Order: sequence, then structure tokens, then C-alpha cells
Amino acid sequence: MGIFYFVAFLSIFFALMTIFTKNPVHSVLYLVITFFTFTIHYILLNAQFLAVVNFIVYMGAIMVLFLFVLMLLNLNKDTEPMKSTVVKVMGAIAGMCLLATFLGAFRVLEGQNEFVTGNTDVGLVKNLGKVLFDEFLLPFELSSILLLTAMVGAILLAKKETKEG
Amino acid sequence: MGAIITLSLLGILVLYLGLYKAKSLLLPVTMLGLVVALGFEISAWNKGVSPIYNGMVLFDNFALAFSILCIVITGLILFLSKEYFRAISNNVAEYYCLILFSLTGALMVCSYHNLAMLFIGIEVMSVALYILVGIRKTDFASNEAALKYFLMGAFSTGFLLFGITLLYGATGTFDITGIKNYLIDNPTALSPLFYGGILLLLVGLLFKVGAAPFHFWTPDVYDGAPILITSYMSTVVKVASFAGFIKLFSYVFSPLQDFWTPILLLIIVITLFVGNITALMQSSFKRMLAYSSISHAGYMLFAIISLGANANSSILTYGFAYSLASVAAFAGLILVKRSHGSDQFVAFDGLGKTNPLLALVITVSMLSLAGIPLTAGFIGKFMLFRSAMADYHIILLALAVVNAAIGVYYYLRVVVHMYFYPSITGEDTVAVPTSFNVVLILTLLLTVLIGIYPNCVISLL
Repeated sequence: MGIFYFVAFLSIFFALMTIFTKNPVHSVLYLVITFFTFTIHYILLNAQFLAVVNFIVYMGAIMVLFLFVLMLLNLNKDTEPMKSTVVKVMGAIAGMCLLATFLGAFRVLEGQNEFVTGNTDVGLVKNLGKVLFDEFLLPFELSSILLLTAMVGAILLAKKETKEG
Repeated sequence: MGAIITLSLLGILVLYLGLYKAKSLLLPVTMLGLVVALGFEISAWNKGVSPIYNGMVLFDNFALAFSILCIVITGLILFLSKEYFRAISNNVAEYYCLILFSLTGALMVCSYHNLAMLFIGIEVMSVALYILVGIRKTDFASNEAALKYFLMGAFSTGFLLFGITLLYGATGTFDITGIKNYLIDNPTALSPLFYGGILLLLVGLLFKVGAAPFHFWTPDVYDGAPILITSYMSTVVKVASFAGFIKLFSYVFSPLQDFWTPILLLIIVITLFVGNITALMQSSFKRMLAYSSISHAGYMLFAIISLGANANSSILTYGFAYSLASVAAFAGLILVKRSHGSDQFVAFDGLGKTNPLLALVITVSMLSLAGIPLTAGFIGKFMLFRSAMADYHIILLALAVVNAAIGVYYYLRVVVHMYFYPSITGEDTVAVPTSFNVVLILTLLLTVLIGIYPNCVISLL
């Protein structure tokens, strides 16, 4: 349990740092560290697959994309465009509403839900593969169309138009 | 299942045809493939009794009827595409391929029996559309529409997925029969997760069908997209989303009707008023059709609040009528815009004299959209209103009738422009290619046929 509280503290600390730093690049870097602490959480929960995916896709690919966009658009200055009080007050109210909703939701949530706590080995790659290639084979195969569509689309949008004749 | 496999392979085949520069073959091969897919669907009629592939899909008559509708409408739209895509760019094969993949997704949404399939179907359908909306790379409006649709669509998919997750947390299954059994077994002690799941699913699906207050993307996206893609989005995608919507709510969530009916009632009233009143203000025909499609989403939601024996057949009839009329209207708009270069109402001035056939077809489609008797639209509206009446939603019905009256005003505006205003460009006729003539006459005949003999569609389900 000690490890959990330490990692949870780190998650919250770096999440807060993400919000409070003025420099966007630092903010993204703190977000990367926050995601890394999530990866540790997943390992603690015995969810190997999720941990690996989180590490590679979210921390690796998406956050690096974030950094590139920030640098390409030259946003790495200490600027905060929206500083009006109205926006701040509205943001605070909305955030508090979300917090109240979450607290209410956690209060009614049954901690012993068997689908939540149930089989602790389900996150292992081996068990996931068994479910994916047996019960969920059809959706798995059909998602190949989704990937092909995305690939065709990306090339179509990025390719230069050549008018022949 | 044969149709889904055929369409996926057809998409890949079309890509290869594009690679080998066989451009004249594209349309015939695509149409042939659609006919084969249609044949598979018709041959499976009355045969799908139990879900297949580990309970992933169920090809019952409900799924087949909506799939056939989607395939037929896509065929009509593709028939119009011959010259249309070539004017936009050279990569015609890719457009056909993306439309076919999107249709595959629509078929999955019609026939899912597991929430995982619903999610994948909606994603395949939408991702292809995000790209198709933006195929006019140099057009600013098209780019804006694509980006807007993508961002809003990705956001709403998040809601949908979160809803599905919460339902899983409450029931431990993605299978819709399993969820239904959970509801029947625990009528009083439902997990609080379940209610959250329903609400989030509702938000995600209402976004896809473009109902208020999740409609903000609709006008800009429909307006910015190329007309042919707009007609595809407002017919096939909408009908498929409604098929998925009604299946989920009539089959799975019907025991909880008291919980979600008030929410849907409110949404219907907002949708009808927002759609109709803003449509009234438009001076562009295309934008008017975009707002009117919002109000039609409101009418189609009627079938969901008054779930009865007729709900499925009435939404099928309405979807059929609405799709036929929309295809005819958009086909007319393509022709008028091509010759006059404008999609405003004034571009239609004098069309009654110069192109009597085109004007007649547009008039009939407008009457059908407005719900005038002897057209298919009347039958659709009548069935939906009757089912709402049976459930004693009298106030809702009164509001809907007011809205239908508003609708008549703006639909007839284009008719007035066609017949009672002199043409601005003199006696120039709008050139109508043969393929357009075929589609226009076909939609005209079907609209009148369903209007006079509605049983041919109603008796299907």
C-alpha cells in the first residue's frame, strides 16, 4: 500500500504542476511525468497490457506530438491569452461542479462490485489475447477497416493534388 | 454478413482500380458490388433468428431492412457522382472507397448485437466521413467543416465510449441481451453506474443524429461539405444512426422508459423549434436543408419515446421518405449550382419554365419533406404522430404540428421561387445529364408510390 500512496502523491503533484507552470513546454513535460505515474499504477493493478499501451502510445507518441505542435506553432513563451476574471470564475465553478459530481458518484459506488474488483488476472496480455481472438474476433477483424480508412484518408489529405491534362 | 464482407472487399478492389488508372471502371464495379451486397441482404431475409459470431451481430429483418435502405440510397447517390468527383480532384477511386467503407460501418450499426460492434461501426462510419467532408482541400469552408466535424465527432465518441464502459461496469457484459436480462432481473436495485451509462450513451447518439442541443456542428458541416457528401451524411448516416439508436432503446432500455422519456421529450421539443425556426431564416437552399435535417431528427425521435409495435416500421418509412426526398433535393441543388454557381433560393428562379421536369421533382421532394398527403413524407409523419398520440403525448403533438406548419412555409419558398419568379439568367436551361434524370425520376416514382401505397414499406417490419 505504501507504494500506491507514494505514486498517487506523485500523480497529483505533477498534475498540479502541469496546471500551475506558465511555460507550455514545461507543462507538457509535467504531463508526460503524470502519465508515467499512471503507468506505474497500471502495473500495480496487474494490468500489463494497459501499462505498455499507456507507455508507448500516450506517453510516447501523443505527448511528443504535443511538444512538436507547441514548437512548430512557436507557443513556447510564457503567455496566457485568457486572463479575464469571468473566465477564471466560470472555470472555478465548473471545476467545483465536476468535483461535487465525482464525490457524489464515489459515495454511491459499491466498492465490492465484482466486475470492478473481480478477476485480477484479466489485464495480463495472455488473457486479453484469449478474449480478443475468441469472443471478440469479429470486431477485432472489422477494426482493420477502420485502420485502412484512416490510412487512406491520411494519404489522401496529405498528398499534393496533381492535375493531369 | 455477406454484405459487410462484400462491401469491405469492394472498397479494396476500388482502391486497386484507382492504382491501375482504370477510372471508367470505377462506377460500374462499385454499382455491381452494391447490387451483390443487396442480393446478400435480400437472400438473408427471414433467416436471421439468433445472433451469430459469439453474439456479435444479428441479421434479423429489422437490421436487413435498414441495411437495404442504406445500400439503395448509397447507390442512388453514387449514381450522381460520375462527373461530380472528377471536378473536385483526381483521386476519384479513394472517394468511392471511403464511401463504401462508411457504408460498411453503417451496416454494422444497423446489425450490431454487442456494444463493441456498435462502437466500431460508428467509428468506421464517421472516420471515413471526416475525410470526405474535407476533400476540397483548397476550399476554406470545406476545411473548416472537416476540422469541426472531426473535433466534435471525436468528443462525442468519447461520451459514447464512456457510456458503454459504465454499462459494462454495472452489468459485466457488452451483449445487448445480457444488459436487457440484467435490467429485467434487477428491476429496483440498479447500479448507479447504469444511469450514468444511459445518459452518456444518449449524448453520444444524439450527437450522431444531430439533435439539439448537440446540433451545433450540423449547419456548418453540411454547408461546407461537398453537396454529394452532404446528401450522403444527411441520409445514410442519419438513418443508420437512428437504426442503432432505436434498437438500443426499444430492445434494451425499454424497462427504464420512465427514466429517459422526460429527457428525450425535452430534447425533441428543443430540436423541433431550433431546427424549424432557424431554417425559416435561411436564404441558402443548402443551409435550409441542413437546418431542416435537424428538425427531421426531432420527428424521428418520436418513434423512440413512443415505443410500440409500430415504432420500427414507422421509423423505416420516415427514413425512406426523408432519404428519397433529400437525395432528389440535393441532386437538384447540384445541377442548379453547377449552372448558376449559387445555392441561394434566387438561383432557383424561373426553373419551372426552363426545366419543368427538374422543377417538378424538386417540388414533389419539398412536399414530401413538408409532409403533404400523397407523398411518402406524409405517411412517415402520420405514422410517427399516430404512435405519439397513442401514448397521450398531446402537448408534444401540438408543438409538432405547429412545427410542421412552419416547415411547410420554408419548403414552399423554393417552390414559389421556381414557379412564380422570372428567371434571372433569361431562358438558359439547366443541363441535366442522363444519370441525374434516372435518379430524379426514380426518387419521384418511389416517393409517390410510398405515398399512395404505403403498405409496401410498412408491411416489411
